[in-house]
Amino acid sequence: MHVVERAQSTSEADHCRIALALFLAYGLFWSALAVAPVSRHDWLLENLLTVGLVTTLVVTYRRFPFSLRSYTLIAVFMVLHAIGAHYTYSEVPFGFWLKDVLVLSRNPFDRLVHFAYGLLLAYPLRELLVRLAGLRGGWSYFLPVSGVLAQSGFFEVVEAIVAMIVSPELGSMYLGTQGDEWDAQKDMAAAFAGATLTMAVTAWSGKHRTVDFK
Amino acid sequence: MSRNKVVSIGLLLWYVAVSVWMAQAPVDPQFWLIASILPAAFVVLLIATHRFLPLSHTSHALITAFLTLHTIGVHYTYAEVPIGLWMDQVLHLGRNHFDRVVHFSFGFLLAYPMEELFRLSASIRGWVVYYLPVMTVLGLSGLWEIIESWVARAVHPELGVTYLGSQGDVWDAQKDMAAALYGALLSMTLLLVVRALRGAETALESEAAFSE
Repeated sequence: MHVVERAQSTSEADHCRIALALFLAYGLFWSALAVAPVSRHDWLLENLLTVGLVTTLVVTYRRFPFSLRSYTLIAVFMVLHAIGAHYTYSEVPFGFWLKDVLVLSRNPFDRLVHFAYGLLLAYPLRELLVRLAGLRGGWSYFLPVSGVLAQSGFFEVVEAIVAMIVSPELGSMYLGTQGDEWDAQKDMAAAFAGATLTMAVTAWSGKHRTVDFK
Repeated sequence: MSRNKVVSIGLLLWYVAVSVWMAQAPVDPQFWLIASILPAAFVVLLIATHRFLPLSHTSHALITAFLTLHTIGVHYTYAEVPIGLWMDQVLHLGRNHFDRVVHFSFGFLLAYPMEELFRLSASIRGWVVYYLPVMTVLGLSGLWEIIESWVARAVHPELGVTYLGSQGDVWDAQKDMAAALYGALLSMTLLLVVRALRGAETALESEAAFSE
């Protein structure tokens, strides 16, 4: 009985310690991959948002501590992104291996990370909307999916603007499309699928849950 | 019949009339059929849910305005809408911009009905009331672009992106989503301003009443 209680509610000190451990582990991993990236220019571009997000999470820890489950999901996503940024996404070894095994025409690692974006970040987004905005019921499962899709769309728009400014002559060949005219739509569809899957699982498991976000 | 019902039925009749008119000899019957499925389903959904979700006349009018624009666009496969061709000639745009205008109206006209929907059915408070409609508009725009790409690949795989409205622009999907985003941002900003002014007015009125 005692064990069950402890598993259900982590004490504040424990929460702080585990969150700090996650942050340090990620920081160490990120630093190792920051030493010699394949392209420093791409790495810098990819890490603008990373630094912004991690800083926001650290600064807001006191005012809005996410659940440890959310922090873990965010950390896993950030690790995937750090790997992608190190290898400029199109040259991630694991992606080449996947390409060979599944007989694909391109390195699918970036598509995989778009999927992971929806899969891993829909839950933290739901936590944010439920705890901060007081969302209830069906909307709390629909809106995180909508939010992930919106952010994916926004990302594609920003990517397009950057590409048009940096190298207008390359058109959509620039930045990750690897020559696919439907790249933007496929990326968004991957994130959409990931978010839908996570929200379906969350809604299903929610029936047996008494306490949210522990 | 109550006044409420008259307005709702009037708007519905207007939409049906426009649809029937625009269904006469569309430029591309196949495109017309595909692009008419979603709006028709949406209108049926609105009628079926109007008892549980009593949206205001403002919302119904905004939705009708948007659907009217879409119905006109579909009749002319968007790329050949006369007013768009006229805009191209006058402003030297290089392409028919009617579809971009409708993407913008999607955000501008439908953000308010969404805001009302969230207010009525989800217990939200504060800044989220303005944030969520913008987010949902952008999310739905993304979903629309995904569906559009599936339809294009299923119907005309050999045409690629040139099918369905891109008119040869590789960044078409991104520009469409950006247009909807701007529309939604503008409408939510207007709503904020209107509410702030009204809030100030009510505050002044109540102050005047108090001093009397």
